[in-house]
Parts: sequence; C-alpha cells; structure tokens
Amino acid sequence: MSTFLQLVLRSLETGSIYSLAALGIIIIYRTSNITHFAQGAMGMFNTFVVTYLFTIAGLPLPFAILGGVLSALITGFTVDFVIIRHTKKVSPVAKQIITLGLIMIFVGITPFLFGVDPLNLPQLIPNGSMPIGGASISYNGILNITFGLGIMGILFYILQKTKWGLAIRTTASNEITARLMGVPTKTVTMVAWAIAAVLGVLAGVMTAPFTSVTLNLMDGVQLNALIACVLGGFQTFYGPVIGAYIIGITKNLLVYYVSSVWGEQLLYLGILIFIVFRPYGLIGKKIVKKV
Amino acid sequence: MKLKKPVFKMNAHLGYIFFGLALCLVPMLVEFGILRSSYITLVGSVIIYSIAAIGLNLLLGWSGLISLGTAGFMGLAAYIAAYLTVDLKLPFEVGLLMALAIPLIIGILVGLVSLKIEGMYLAIATLSVSEILRKSFEELGFITNGFSGKTAGYPKLLGFFQLDRNMTYVLLVIFLVGVMILIHNLINGQMGRALNAMRGSEAAAQAMGVHLLKYRLVAFALATGLAALSGVLYIHFIKYTYPPTWSLGMSLNILSAIIIGGVRNIYGTILGVFVVFAAPDLFLKNIPYFGSMPGFAYIINGLLIILVIMFYPNGLIYLGSDMKKLWIKWKAKVNR
Repeated sequence: MSTFLQLVLRSLETGSIYSLAALGIIIIYRTSNITHFAQGAMGMFNTFVVTYLFTIAGLPLPFAILGGVLSALITGFTVDFVIIRHTKKVSPVAKQIITLGLIMIFVGITPFLFGVDPLNLPQLIPNGSMPIGGASISYNGILNITFGLGIMGILFYILQKTKWGLAIRTTASNEITARLMGVPTKTVTMVAWAIAAVLGVLAGVMTAPFTSVTLNLMDGVQLNALIACVLGGFQTFYGPVIGAYIIGITKNLLVYYVSSVWGEQLLYLGILIFIVFRPYGLIGKKIVKKV
Repeated sequence: MKLKKPVFKMNAHLGYIFFGLALCLVPMLVEFGILRSSYITLVGSVIIYSIAAIGLNLLLGWSGLISLGTAGFMGLAAYIAAYLTVDLKLPFEVGLLMALAIPLIIGILVGLVSLKIEGMYLAIATLSVSEILRKSFEELGFITNGFSGKTAGYPKLLGFFQLDRNMTYVLLVIFLVGVMILIHNLINGQMGRALNAMRGSEAAAQAMGVHLLKYRLVAFALATGLAALSGVLYIHFIKYTYPPTWSLGMSLNILSAIIIGGVRNIYGTILGVFVVFAAPDLFLKNIPYFGSMPGFAYIINGLLIILVIMFYPNGLIYLGSDMKKLWIKWKAKVNR
C-alpha cells in the first residue's frame, strides 16, 4: 500500500509537469489553431536561460527562475509578433510546420548562446521530505505539485471569470466573429503565446533536476503533453490537464506493476485503442460539419 | 488546380529516367576526382529520404492526412532487414520482402483507424505508433542490439552478386526512379482523381461513388510501404542504425522537406529533401566563421522552413516557373 501511495505521489509530480506543458499546447491550439510542437523546445531554451543565470551569473535560484519567466515572456511575444501574426492565410497543415521550424531555430540557437556542455539545475528546495501514510514525498515534490495546481487554478479562474478570459474564450471559439465583436484578437494570441512559453519554462525547471539540462531535456515532456491533449480532447482547456495527470499516474503504475520495459509502450497502445473508440478524447465532442 | 505539371517539356516518364541517369553521374564524377567521395553518401541519403518523402507526400499532399509515423516505419524496416540478412543469413531479397510486409500490415491497420479519427488526432496517433516502435528498438536488444546499434552490409543480389558502394548507389537510383514512375502513374490515374476528390470533401467524394476505405487503405499502405523501402535501403547503404535515429525529429524533417519543396509535386519533394538533408552539409559548413558555429545549419533550416511557408507557400519547386513568368511579364513591359 505504501509503495502504491509513493508511486501515486511521484506520479502527481510528473503529472503536474505534463499538465503545465499540455496547457500551453492547448492554449495555443485554441487561440491560433496551431498544434504547438515547439512547446518543449521553447521551454528547453528558457530553462537554459534559468540555468545560465543560476550557475554562471550566480543569481539565487528564485531570481534565476524569474529571469527565465521574463525571457519566456519575451520569446513568446517575439514568436507571435514576428511570425505567427503574419500566417493568417497559410493553410492549416503548413501552420503546424512553422512550429517545426521554431524547434530547429531554438535547438540551433541554444548551443550557440550557452555552449554544448550539459548543465545542472538543482531543486528549489534541495532536501528534506515529508512522510505521508508510510510513503514519503520530498518538499520539492510538494512544492511542484502545489505550484502546478496553483498556476492552473489561477489560469482557469482567469479564463472563466475575467474579461481577459472571456476574450481568450471568444477568440478560441471563433476568431473572425470575435474580431467583429471588438475583441483585440491580435493581443489575445500574443498573450496566449507568452503564457504558453511561461508554462513551458516552468515545466522545464521542474524537469531539470531529474536529469541534466541538455537539448533533449523536454522531448519526453513534449511527447507526453501532446498525447495528453489527444487523450483529453482538443475542445476544452481542462481536458488535456486531466489527460496529463492520467498519463502521469498510469505510466508509473504500469512501469512498476506490469513491466519496467514495456510499461510505456502499453500505455501508448492503450491510448491508441481508446482513441479509436472515442475519437475526440475524454471530454471532447464531435464537431458536426455541414456539407 | 492542374494535376500534371511537367518540369521537362517531354514525356514525363522519360524525364524520370533521365533524372535517374543524371544521378548516376555522381559516382563517375567522384571516380574522376571532380567531386569528393563523401558526396556519394550524401546524395545517396537524399535518395533514400526522398523515397520515404514521396510516400508521405501521397498522404499529406494528395490525401490530406497528416502522419507523423514515418520514422518508426523506416526504423522497423531497417531493423528487420538487418536482422534477417545479418543474424539469420537470409538473402537480401527475402529481407527486403519481409521488411516491406510487416510495416505494410501495421500501415494498413493505421489506415483502418484513420477512418475514425482525423486531423491532429490522427497525426498524434501515428506519432504514438512511431514512439512505441522506437521504444521497442531500444528494448528488444536481441534483435536490435539496443543502443550500441546494428550493422549490416551492402546488399548481395540473387545470392552471389555482391554490390560495392557505387553499385548500391545505382540500386538506390533505380528504386527511386521506379517509385517516381509508380507514383506518377497512380496520381494521374483513377486513384489520383479519387484522392483529390477525398481531399476536397469526403462527403462529396462518397456521394460520387469514391470508396473511402479502399483509397485510404491504399494511400496508407503505399506511404508505409515506401517508408519501409527507404528504411531497408538506409540500412544497406549507411550500414548502421541505432534507436535515436528514428525519433520524432526524423519524421518532422521529412514532413518539412515536403512543405519546403512543394506539396503534390514529385520533383519538389526531392528538392525539399535536398534542401533539408544535404544543403547544410554541402554549403553551410563552408561559410567562414558561421560554418563552424554549433547549430548554425539548424537555425538556417528552421528559418528557411518558416520563410518558405510565410512567403512562398507553394514550395521552392515553383521558383523556376514563377521566375520565368516574371521575366516574360517584365520583357513585355519593356517592349511596350
């Protein structure tokens, strides 16, 4: 029982990471109609900024993270302002490819700015753990879980209750009508890209202590976040978050209880079969097209 | 939109054959010492990726379905071919057939699934198929040799005819020309019309009597079959493979090659593959100062993809004909 609890607690931590990244992807998908393949790459770039500020510039970690958030805001704004804003007439498939181009640019620019050696980023709370019913969880894990949930809570509050959230939701539902109604859709998409970039760097900073900061830091997170979006459905903001936690928990349980070698493949296979029976995800609805 | 856009002003099939002959000049030029020997490997890998890209173009361009599974199928075929020819000592032809058959079956299964899911859901579903395959390459050590990688030799035709590097290169060219002619015939025939109709509107196509399931399955089977073929050729030409090669990055590179070169255009696909896979090695490394910078080729490639999509969405292959139009317009203006 204590092992089970331990696994679930650890999974909640990975689930938070996946869900932050997935939330970034879904916000971009809903406002710009682009599947954001570069979410991981942008997160990786900004995590390098954090690591650079911490190890080489010598700032304390919280300030380094603030610096990373700032640079994430700037990268998000720039990407939208320079590229995405000018692609209104591009075909939907080609739009997705633009984010592939973004991956290449970020992966190319990172070693140029920060060197090719892998760096290390410590945890925000370096040690100490709390026992919960036979299991134990590190203080940093608790921080990650609560922080992830907190950020998501704030975002959902903004989306549902404020004027800005309303603007984002109207843009997501129909961009042209939203513009006709006086919603500044350009600003909305720009803010969406900035939010996604910040979510990416937060996910990156949470992932970094588990491994070293390299170019491949976010590959797994990106993949699982995309699959979480499919599992939860692209139609709602909260679907992918639920999908991300499900993936995080099921993956660890499968790897521990079924097979450490085949657990992950089994999970993906299960999700594939699930999609065949529910093609629009857990929460999604079928959009009826008129002929 | 016109279906056929001949690049050469002659019979299209002859054009493909001449294109193949021109490619065969590369080893000769190397023998004469005009080109560096590494160019054979470079152009050879362009040919290999072109075969996979033409297959993907059939899905992405003509059928309008996005697949991110190319790399997984290529890798699967490469490992099967290597296992059969090296470990089981079977002839090259048997390896080729088996390596085509197994991915083909998986491809047809994905085609069946594609009737139910669409758009990005399909793309990510194929992506997870590819990921399952890649993870299996890492874990099935007794077949794939895990992370230390698997090696294979140049193909031995009919059991006695051992090919060297140049001859294998010629074999690649023959396969490429064959694939080009096959796809050309298919898309200019009934199947091309059916796929075009399906891309425009599935409901309308169905109403006109197009059998959706049949053509989806054929499109998926061909795309995975060609990906598998390119995987087999990869292992027999490059002679080495290890799991990280077959990650999402490879699928994305092939996808971007199609977009850069020209969707629904066979020569365009090859041009795109050349730009994405060979141009960094050929040109960018020779630029002083920037050439030695880590990641420079990556940045240029990324910029190129974005610029082409933003300002030249039809693809680079139309650059020539568009220039010609501009030139004629300009001449008419001057003469007036």
